[in-house]
Amino acid sequence: MADSGKIRTFPKDPYGGQKAENTNKARTGGLRARLLRALRRQPADGSQFRDYSLLFIILFLLGFGLVMLYSTSSYSAIVDYGDSAFYFRKQLIFTLMGLGLMVFVSFIPYRWYRVLSVPAYLAAAGLIFLIIPFGNEGGGAKRWLEIFGMNLQPAEVAKVAVIMLTATIIEREGRKELASTAGLLKPLIPSAIMAVMIWQITDNLSSAIIVLAITMGMLFVACPDYKRFVVMAGAVVVSAFLLVSYIVNAADRSTMEFRGRRILAWLDPIAYEDISYQTVQALYAIGSGGFLGKGLGQSMQKMIVPEAQNDMIFSIICEELGLFGAIGIMFMFILLIWRFMAIANNAEDMYGAMLVVGVISHIAVQVVLNISVVTNTMPNTGVTLPFFSYGGSSIFFLMAEIGIVLSVSRGIRFRKTEDG
Amino acid sequence: MGNRERESGQRRRRTAVKRFTISMQRKLVVLFLLVLLAFVGLGARLIMINRDQGQAYSMKVLSQQAYDNVTIPFKRGQILDAKGTVLADSVLVYNVIVDAYQVLDDEAYLEPTLNELQRLGIDRDAMERYIREQPASRYYIAMKNLTYQKRKEYLERIEEGIRDENDRKVPQEERYFSNVRGIWFEPGYTRTYPQNELACDVIGFANTNNVGMTGLEQYYNDILNGVQGRQYGYLDESLNIDWTTHDAKDGCTLQLTLDANIQSIVQKHLKAYNDRYANAVRKGGNGAYDVGCIVMDVNTGSIKAMAGYPFFNLNDPYNTDILVGSPVLDDTDQPTKKVLTQKDIDAMDDQEKARYLNALWTNYCISVPYEPGSTGKLYTVAAGLESGKISEDEEFYCPGFKEVDGVRIACHNTHRFLDLAHAVERSCNVYLMNIVEEIGKETYCDFRSTFNIGLKTGIDLAGEARTDSLLIPEETMSRVDLATNSFGQNYNVTMIQMAAGLSSLINGGYYYQPHVVDRIYSADGAVVKKVEPKVIKRTISEATSAKMREYCEMVVMTGLGTGGTARPYGYSIGGKTGTAETLPRGNEEYVVSFYGFAPVDDPQVAVYVVINRANQKRQGNHSLPCNIVREIMQEVLPYMNIYMDQPVTEEEREVLEQKGLEITYQED
Repeated sequence: MADSGKIRTFPKDPYGGQKAENTNKARTGGLRARLLRALRRQPADGSQFRDYSLLFIILFLLGFGLVMLYSTSSYSAIVDYGDSAFYFRKQLIFTLMGLGLMVFVSFIPYRWYRVLSVPAYLAAAGLIFLIIPFGNEGGGAKRWLEIFGMNLQPAEVAKVAVIMLTATIIEREGRKELASTAGLLKPLIPSAIMAVMIWQITDNLSSAIIVLAITMGMLFVACPDYKRFVVMAGAVVVSAFLLVSYIVNAADRSTMEFRGRRILAWLDPIAYEDISYQTVQALYAIGSGGFLGKGLGQSMQKMIVPEAQNDMIFSIICEELGLFGAIGIMFMFILLIWRFMAIANNAEDMYGAMLVVGVISHIAVQVVLNISVVTNTMPNTGVTLPFFSYGGSSIFFLMAEIGIVLSVSRGIRFRKTEDG
Repeated sequence: MGNRERESGQRRRRTAVKRFTISMQRKLVVLFLLVLLAFVGLGARLIMINRDQGQAYSMKVLSQQAYDNVTIPFKRGQILDAKGTVLADSVLVYNVIVDAYQVLDDEAYLEPTLNELQRLGIDRDAMERYIREQPASRYYIAMKNLTYQKRKEYLERIEEGIRDENDRKVPQEERYFSNVRGIWFEPGYTRTYPQNELACDVIGFANTNNVGMTGLEQYYNDILNGVQGRQYGYLDESLNIDWTTHDAKDGCTLQLTLDANIQSIVQKHLKAYNDRYANAVRKGGNGAYDVGCIVMDVNTGSIKAMAGYPFFNLNDPYNTDILVGSPVLDDTDQPTKKVLTQKDIDAMDDQEKARYLNALWTNYCISVPYEPGSTGKLYTVAAGLESGKISEDEEFYCPGFKEVDGVRIACHNTHRFLDLAHAVERSCNVYLMNIVEEIGKETYCDFRSTFNIGLKTGIDLAGEARTDSLLIPEETMSRVDLATNSFGQNYNVTMIQMAAGLSSLINGGYYYQPHVVDRIYSADGAVVKKVEPKVIKRTISEATSAKMREYCEMVVMTGLGTGGTARPYGYSIGGKTGTAETLPRGNEEYVVSFYGFAPVDDPQVAVYVVINRANQKRQGNHSLPCNIVREIMQEVLPYMNIYMDQPVTEEEREVLEQKGLEITYQED
């Protein structure tokens, strides 16, 4: 960003060479003492790091997301609820609540999560188990819990909890331990358990994949080597290829279970339009957009693409704003991730950096998966587009994650240059 | 002091904190680059989709834009009788449309919706099966012809239920009425005939597509039909659907000259005839192949009643049960002596059934040609008098036959010396043959066309037959032909031709075009057309007509004439019997008929009855139609305010009282 040239972020290694005399005290101090310490950390002399460009990007994405949500959902809102702003209003409330949460979280010292991560993980697991007796159904799967009249998606809680827990485990592990297989598995196991729970209990394969991907992203950054990750990525690609070719060559396609038919529909969406109707319609929307699109609010496909305001919102963006708008949005996401990366690289400590890496992984994976689904680059699985898709839980917890990132960025301070 | 010291103070407390190492930072940059790569790949994919498929997908999107285009049905016009009785009506009904997709939108919708569909009279299990099997169906006609009332009750129930739930603040999940989803009503009209089989041949029926199949429904199809309305929805510049409505234009209403009361009197007596003679000789057969009757106002040509037995129910025209007792048709659709049984009907295929139903729907009175027999003598006599070639004093001797060109043509009796009046009274063939011999075939044929024989009358009903191909042309007419023509054989007519032509002979010589429709009203009640009586031509002079009335009176009133049995008690009427032998001759098969009119000195109404091959051993018995005409006139004349002009004997008084008929002398 523009200001990154003027300032020098400092320090990369603020604690280098310090003795550990107070460490025990820091670890054993009471909650009150910790809070006071956290607050004292705020410098009063203006050396506090404030990333205005990040703030701008976030507010831009939020505002733009709301505009596109209104444009996309107004038709089905008026058809289903007689009120074109029905979805918009709900999303606006969640966004404002999410903003409040973001500010609140940004003031919470992120290092608390080292302690809170285990309870958070257990709480997320508990919420997922609560779905079995109390879950609300929607779209054919039980995924929601109703709390105070609002629908909560425990999978979203789980993503945040997994980021915290994985960061905690990685920080506790030594660099050498991470290099070993056991060290790699240690953070991977809790997130794998969580992923299986999400998959099996809430029947939400995509969230399970996202949880695993977040952990893998964090481990990739933390671990010193590349080899194991290249091997793992290769294994995933090969097994996916084998699975797809098995399904394609399967003798009897009619008895194949739903997911198998989804793969076939992915390879030839037009032929399996009963399954891939949504994808095909999304492709039509993308293809009909052209370079500059039909203009804001001018989508025709929003009347046809089922649930356009959810997973498929990007296709309507492509139709209304064209390649120009779509690539612009992707560019905004890249900027966001880049700013996050800057925060991670300048974080006070490794724990904060790993939290930011987790959030980066989360957002990056969701954006990439969502756009891949919409463009039929991968089989259809429900992934929402952060900031854009309709959904209270996802925007709410996304804002919480950004709050964590801001909390980490709070720890960064400038050091004025010698002549400055 | 300052920064540095504070920093160092903080540093002291955080020494054990692990750093985000350079290598990790480097790997984060790699991760960032990988994400960037993925974004670039996806961006390229977007560009490719637009480049390769942009054109095709844009077309697809446009072709999928199903702008709503709803047709609004028109109401087909009513058919009313002369007094305003509704004979044909279009009733607003609804198709019940089920949107399975919407019903399945939420599991909570299914139960209440199925309950309400069942309440509307739809099979619940079948409906549930359909919804489950076709979850994407948005338009399914679950039921047709739901009455307006039923729909209204349903809508009120739901509306009231929702209001009640709102008032009681019932939580969403416990709501019943607002969970009834995906039920729509599509308006339409269904044609009904409140009088069922009354005037079935005249009215005809319309199919579900508002196409009239027979009778008035066919003849006036375009006038009865309106113009469909349409509701267009199209997208304006800001892609809002804009609705434009073109209202439907309802069809015109027909008011007939036909009187439902007279029509029902006629149908009652045709039915009574059938009940009496059915099964008599041809076992299981109707009273005759056909019995037709026309009641007509002789001074306007307006049809008061028209019926042909057997009748069919206009609300159920495809019912084949009524065919039992009808003659079996041969390959050329001509009736045969064989009688149709239920067994025969059950064995028929659809094509065969259609053939018989077509015969049933045929209006005998306007579509079926037959030889008129002696009623045709009136034409010959009128031609003779009008041409001046014979005088009424002229006498001929009837030895019971006449030889023409070596062919011996029989009379039905030996009448000896007769003058013209008595020749008509007794219906002497020989006298008539002598008349045409005197006037010659040119004059005869001129008058034949004057009387419109063989040509369409132009009555406003579908299916009127022309019979001119069944006349012998003047050029090829032999003397024998002429002689037989004189007494109504060897040429064909339709009943309506005879009714119109004979009426002109006794009404002063005015040939009125027969018509059924009196007025046409537009949908908002304005008279669009009033049908005025239309004189097509003068056939004979007033003086000749007076003579014709006189002779016709003798046929009925003297007691010596052939039509004596046609006289209704208390009335003086005129008329002429007809007994025509059918082809092939010598089979003892006859078409018998009687044309009667009243009052005799100032004719107002004519009743013409034709019995095609009565179910009797002696089919030539002309008292059969006379009886029918008498019974009809006995009831119709008082109804039309035509007063009695003859003394009523005690016996007759008793009979009339039994029938509940009043004795109506005109009060002076």
